This record gives sequence, structure tokens and C-alpha cells, in this order.
Amino acid sequence: MAAYESQSSVNDIQLITRVVAGDAAAERELYDTYVDRIYRLAFRLAGDDELARDFTQATFIRAFEKIGSFRGESSLSTWLHSIGVSVALNGLRKSKRQRNREAPMEEGLTVGSTNVEAEPDLKERLARAIDSLADKYRMVFVMHDVEGYTHEEISGTLNIPIGTSKSHLFQARSKLRVMLADFAPEWVS
Amino acid sequence: MTEDKFEEFLKTKAQSYNTPPGRVPREEMWSAIQAKRSAGPRVIYGGGSVSSIPARRFGTRVWLGAAAAAMLLVATGVGIGRWTASPNVSQVATSIPTQPVVVQPDATEPNSTADGSVGTSGNGVSPAPAAASQRGNGMSGASAGQRGSTNAATATTPSPSALTRSPSAVATTIQPATGQSSAYQLTTMQHLSEAEALLTSFRTRSTADQQMDAQLGTWARQLLSNTRLLLDSPVANDPQRRPLLEDLELVLVQIVQLSPGSTPQDRELIEKTLQQDHVMMRLRTAIPAGAQHGS
Repeated sequence: MAAYESQSSVNDIQLITRVVAGDAAAERELYDTYVDRIYRLAFRLAGDDELARDFTQATFIRAFEKIGSFRGESSLSTWLHSIGVSVALNGLRKSKRQRNREAPMEEGLTVGSTNVEAEPDLKERLARAIDSLADKYRMVFVMHDVEGYTHEEISGTLNIPIGTSKSHLFQARSKLRVMLADFAPEWVS
Repeated sequence: MTEDKFEEFLKTKAQSYNTPPGRVPREEMWSAIQAKRSAGPRVIYGGGSVSSIPARRFGTRVWLGAAAAAMLLVATGVGIGRWTASPNVSQVATSIPTQPVVVQPDATEPNSTADGSVGTSGNGVSPAPAAASQRGNGMSGASAGQRGSTNAATATTPSPSALTRSPSAVATTIQPATGQSSAYQLTTMQHLSEAEALLTSFRTRSTADQQMDAQLGTWARQLLSNTRLLLDSPVANDPQRRPLLEDLELVLVQIVQLSPGSTPQDRELIEKTLQQDHVMMRLRTAIPAGAQHGS
């Protein structure tokens, strides 16, 4: 999947100029152009529709606030995605802290009902393994292997060198290989 | 399984990871965006509702409370410093009738009245050199010196030994100065730590957060008055401290004058001042380790 497939249909500079001038139609056009990809990425990272919506909305709100300071050093798409990733990461950290605070109470309620679940299938194990990756690895893995971003795009979005992006992807895959060794031990060797 | 196969496997299986729904809720999100933009810029993650965060991470009360406490601390410190620096007139006045007076010919500050009498010690009693040496009180000596010049018939010129101070006497005169220096030192450290906290907050805040700008302005105004107090204090005699305090004063004035509707250029100007004068680095250099923790 090409992450930037519709970028060529938008004249970034004209669009930004119109948005800065306060053209409401231009704002909507910008939104329509990029909302799908921002939402998809937000959903991949959050795994929750409500969170993904919040992240997407916050991304565009911030983008509209800051678009006057956009200097064109990167493409509009990259700039928007970098805002989206930043918003999503901060939001996930916040919601994770909130979950951790609430967790003890929930754990207390479930004491005594220790249902022995069946061994989760590969899909679930893979999801858990990806979730357990550090943010920097998970971000690159999701963007590259799941959403199909190139290392150049990831580099621009996350503001890291291309080599670092490749290194993070390698690390992510290596950790996943170890975590999924139950399914195919030969991967680890 | 080879590495290529594993990568292929990952890419295939990972497509099911947090699979987004087929339909993107464009209209709902657009409506929410419009509503939030008209209501305010703050967003609650995970709540899905349009509202502002009720309590900021560092609320206005916390900022103002911290600033007021810091101002009180600095003002108290400066006050203690000035109090200890001023001559203890009452002590001199009460001690003169019972203590002998040293006559010093190099006295420069006369304390005499129009008729030549000197304060409460106008009895013309000349001091015993040994006693004067033991006391080592130069203040009363100055008074007596003036009297010696105006009432030479009764005054006695002290011997050189009378002007010599014993080590204990020297210690008693230096000790208050050390205490004063410590008070100023502590006050200055607290003030510089506070200033560093303000400047760090200023540099890391969101540019669109006008409420934060207003809070920082209030804080900076309080620090500015303290900075000017310190500039008028003996702390400013330090050749390294004075330029730092002057540069800090400039930055604080700029922050205070930053209006809510200020442009990014105004903020860049402050940033440039901070960078060109290395204010942050000099602040951190001036603050000893641990001073920020209230030690």
C-alpha cells in the first residue's frame, strides 16, 4: 500500500496559501486529502476507534493552528504525519498511564475468576508481540511493514535518519522473531 | 524458515494488526474538529467528547503559589542580607556608656552634633587601649575620633596599640560579613534556580498557549523585581554575577512585555537573546548542583 498515493493530486503550496488566508473550503480540502491516511495510521497505533478519532481530530486541529509556520522544508503530507505521530504517541502514553492507574482496581475485581484461556493463536500472539515493542520500534514496524511507508517517508515523519529507521525496523523484526519462536523455532536460530 | 520468508510472513500476518475499519468516519470527525476549534484547542484523548481539560498539569494556582513563595523567599533573603549589612546602631548606642571608646584618627564619618558633642558618648572619656583592643569596635572609634578633633582638650590620642585588633576581635567583625554573604549567596542561588525554571518553561511551552504566556508573564514580573533588588545589593559587586543578572533582567523584561497576541518573531527575539548571551548555560553554571532542590 502506497502511503502517499494521492499526494500528487494536491497542490500543497496553493492549498496552504488558501488555508492560511482563512479559506474554509481549503481547510476541508486539506482534511479530505489526508484524513484517511492519518486515521488509518492512528488506528494502527491505537487499536481503538475512539482513540484513533481523537488523535486524528487533534492532528488536524493542531495542523490548522500551526499551518502558518509551515515552511515547506518537507512535504505537507510528511508534516501532517509527523504531527499525527506526535499526537498519537503522546496520547497513547497518557492513556497508558491512565490504564495503569485503573488496572489495580480491575485486577482486584477479577481475583478468583482465573479462567484458563486457550493458547492464543498466532494472530493474537503477533498483536501482543507488536504491542510489547518499544514505541520507536513499533512505530517504524507499523509504518513500514503494516502500512507500507518507505524508509524515506518514515525518516521525514519521525525526524530520524534513514539508517536509524532501518535499524529500528531490524530491531523490531528481531524481537518479534524471538517472541514468536513458539510457532516456528527455526526462526530464532 | 529463512529471513526473507519470516519478513514476508510478518508483513502478511501483521496486516491484521489493529486493522482499521473500512469506512473512515470523515464527517463525524470533521464536525468534532469544527466544534473543538470553536470551543478551544484542548483535547482529551480517549474521551471522545468535546471539552476542555478542567485542570492543567500545572494549574494557575500552582504557578502563582510557587511564584509568590519564591518572591517571598527572595525578598526575605534580601531583607536579611540588608539588615545584617547595616550597622547595628542600637547596639553601639547602648554599649557606649559602659564600654570604653577607641579614638581613631582616620575616622571619616562624623557623628557629632553642631556643638561638637558626639551622640551619647560626649563625655570625653578616653578609652583604655587594652579594652579598646579587646572590643575592637571601629564604629565607636570613629565617633570618638571626630570628637578628638573638635574637643581636643579632653580627648586623648590613642596609641597605635589601641588601633590594633586582636584576632578574636577581627573574627567578631568578619563573622557578620560572612553571614551576610551566605544569606546573599543563598538568596541568589534560589533566585537563579527560579529564573532557570522560568526560562526552561518558556522555551518548552506551546507557542499557541496564550494562557501559559500570561502565567509566565506574571512569574517573570515577580522575578524581574527580585532581579533588580539583587542588582542593587552587594551580590552585584561580583564581576561575574552582575552581567548575568543584567542579561537576566533583559530577558525577563522581554518576557513580561510579551503580549498574548505576540508574534512568533517576538518569541524568536527572546530565544536569540537567550542563545547569544548563553543565559541558560551561564545560569546553570552559576547554580551549584542540588541548589534547584531547595538545598
